[in-house]
Amino acid sequence: MRQLLFTGFNAFGQHNGSNTDRISGRVTALTEISVPGHDAGNAIIALSWRYTAYAVGTKLWLRGLFNLVPGECLEVEAPASIKALAACDSHCLVLLQNGELYKLPAKMNATLQHIKLETTPTTSAATKRTIFGTPKLARDASHDITHIACGTHINVAISANNAVYSIPSCLHQFPQRQWRVQQLECGHEHALLLNGNGDVYSWGNGLRGQLGHETLAVVETPLLLEALAGIKITHIAAGGWHSVAISAFGDLYTWGLNCKGQLGVRVMKPDGLLKEPTVYPLPQLHDLPDCCGVENDACAPLKVFAGSRHTLLLRSCGRLWASGWCAHGQLGTQPTKLEYLDIFQAVRDTPKGNNYTVFCGPWSSLIALSRNRTVRARMPKFSLYLPYVMKMHVEKKVQLRPKVISALNRYTHTCIEHGRLLICQMPAGASAHQARTNEVVQGYAAHCGLRTRR
Amino acid sequence: MGAVEASLLELAKLLPRFEDIVELLENEVEARYILRRAADHFAKRQAIDQLNRPEEEEISYLIHALVDKNWERIHSGHFSSVPLTIRKIYALGCYFKQIFFLLLENPSLEQRELCGTVLDEAQLLGCTEELYEKCTELKHALMQYLDERATSNNSLPLPILAAVERRASRCDIPQLEAPSILEFRTSCYQALQPTLLLNTINHWPALSKWRDLNYLLKVAGNRTVPIEIGSNYASDEWSQQLVKLRVFLHRQFGPSNGRADHEIEYLAQHELFAQIPALKADICVPDYCTVSSNNAAGVDIKAWLGPSHTISPMHYDPKHNLLCQVFGCKSIILASPEDTANLYAHESEFLNNTSQIDAAKPDFERFPLLRRVRFYELLLQPGDCLYLPPKWWHYVRSETPSFSVSFWWE
Repeated sequence: MRQLLFTGFNAFGQHNGSNTDRISGRVTALTEISVPGHDAGNAIIALSWRYTAYAVGTKLWLRGLFNLVPGECLEVEAPASIKALAACDSHCLVLLQNGELYKLPAKMNATLQHIKLETTPTTSAATKRTIFGTPKLARDASHDITHIACGTHINVAISANNAVYSIPSCLHQFPQRQWRVQQLECGHEHALLLNGNGDVYSWGNGLRGQLGHETLAVVETPLLLEALAGIKITHIAAGGWHSVAISAFGDLYTWGLNCKGQLGVRVMKPDGLLKEPTVYPLPQLHDLPDCCGVENDACAPLKVFAGSRHTLLLRSCGRLWASGWCAHGQLGTQPTKLEYLDIFQAVRDTPKGNNYTVFCGPWSSLIALSRNRTVRARMPKFSLYLPYVMKMHVEKKVQLRPKVISALNRYTHTCIEHGRLLICQMPAGASAHQARTNEVVQGYAAHCGLRTRR
Repeated sequence: MGAVEASLLELAKLLPRFEDIVELLENEVEARYILRRAADHFAKRQAIDQLNRPEEEEISYLIHALVDKNWERIHSGHFSSVPLTIRKIYALGCYFKQIFFLLLENPSLEQRELCGTVLDEAQLLGCTEELYEKCTELKHALMQYLDERATSNNSLPLPILAAVERRASRCDIPQLEAPSILEFRTSCYQALQPTLLLNTINHWPALSKWRDLNYLLKVAGNRTVPIEIGSNYASDEWSQQLVKLRVFLHRQFGPSNGRADHEIEYLAQHELFAQIPALKADICVPDYCTVSSNNAAGVDIKAWLGPSHTISPMHYDPKHNLLCQVFGCKSIILASPEDTANLYAHESEFLNNTSQIDAAKPDFERFPLLRRVRFYELLLQPGDCLYLPPKWWHYVRSETPSFSVSFWWE
């Protein structure tokens, strides 16, 4: 069974200790916790302020305060296997493997309610084809949900044909072809979307700068984040009123509200006081502190996570860095009694290696260790056409696993010796398919923390 | 733990019992759980006078979390659409938080001051009206308890501003000498005519009392107020801060403020009088404001206190406005709503009632339509009021240290 480590707000008995003991209402160091159910090894987890939701197969548990006392538990069975959860204080969104969307109100004796989405105006959609050229089954994909996210004031779903819903009404239709959602995240009242191209879109309430647009305003429909256009973004996170992104070049950007140091940007006025108010409408590029040695490429930002007013940054070396509010223990053990960190610092007592993922609750952080110890290289799916022939050099030697080498040899002109990728270059006139493959190589290199050059 | 001050336990008696607030918490599961435990804890404490320290610490933490959570709820969405229940729970949480803090921490002077800040936050963000029977009594008792124990003020005394003689000045709008309600109604209110009302508030105690800044310091020095930093709210350098009024007064009016690097700070558009009843007693709502409804309850009263050279850029407000001058002078430039299209309002949501122009030095090259605008200039002096109908554009600049009180009504 995989190990779960928790720190932060637990006043409603959301989490039990690993021996099912009650743990404190405020956990201030990473502590091993248990999950309801027997085979919870791969539980899907989502944290709201007042409860935590876990799903395994068709089973769903919500644990927290629903009526009278902490530690109450709702247990329901979904009609099909659960694919994803999104939690906010009033309800939990439940996405099934079959693309159907349900909601479970966070109340005692609640049952799953099917969410019927507004039908989109029928477009003359071209036949979708698989990568092998066979047409996909003619099926209305607009109700086939693939991504969900929610916050206290926002509920978002995206369908297989790239329709964006502010549940239950349709907000926006992205191109149905050659356009893929990579990641969808919500803050308290804003949404961020990352597509396969590395572009970020944002919408919702931007009055605290969380949308990354120059003007503070409410934006009704997804709007391309101009400030990051042209920079390939690889991972994003939405905090309560702030946002975070990392690029394929290993850069970290944060924007929005910095009231508790959640942006990791320390700005002092001449008299030594923190500047107020603390709104940064445009993405701020970070000069990250050295991690394992000076300017080590192996410490490039890998993933970002955010709670209501804190931010976590996982670096490729496996160390976790944090900034923001820690009054409720959300950043784990703190050397000082400060209420917040206004600059990124390494989190203590994190697991070794980078084979873990992080879930941020509004006021908490949860680390889930992968079952197996090795880091799996995540190969991006073949879904991008590159309109140009790309030359790519990997600037640094990197150890590859045999499986990856054989895949690379099959599709690209690469020169691989002794398990080291030295150079990989697309020949002139390469087919689109090959170009796509090269995207995979580039993605892999980025994953390894390498800087690539076009 | 040492003996708790008896006065503190007396204060705790003014906290609500759970029955007092149960109705408010009907649909608020977490607040009900936390406030029930807190209220029951104090009820038990009064009854058997024995202390369970771990439990007290646990409940104190729950209250802390409740305050933080409702702070987040108050800061989500537009402030105007935040349900009153949330702001009431926030205020209740703040009261309990302070009592726990005083009980548990055996606080130093500095920490007591922090506690006063919590009280102010309850007032500024929360809703402290009609929470339960003794809520006002508790508020005043807490304020008194904290003020009595606040840091003694050893700093240099503040100046007493000189009373100035009225001076002749340009005035492009009609002037009326303390008009009757009837006259005000027909020639100003119904005619939607901006008018300078002379010598209308001479009877306010504020006119003689507030010029002595030490009086303000004594009455309100420990209250936290929002101040605007930077001369103009539409500029990029502008920011806001919550500070003790005492700090603001010393920074802006104190004897040591001759430094050149000093930023201009402005206590602007703040509902100071709901927060400090003692100051409210020094003014009264002019009868002109009740010309439409006979109801003084719908009038927003705001304070505007700052040094010379504070600037409110050209902007308009949606309500009727009576701007009353207590001390100091302000230069004001007006423009009619008919000229709105020529005044280059900002496009952003925050500033769409604010013009991009500098009304004191109009740039006709950059904003050519300004040539068409008719501007009206006047000087507002102590004892006078300026009546502004809704949507009239106004630019306001203080010529001296200045205290104005504005009354807004529908």
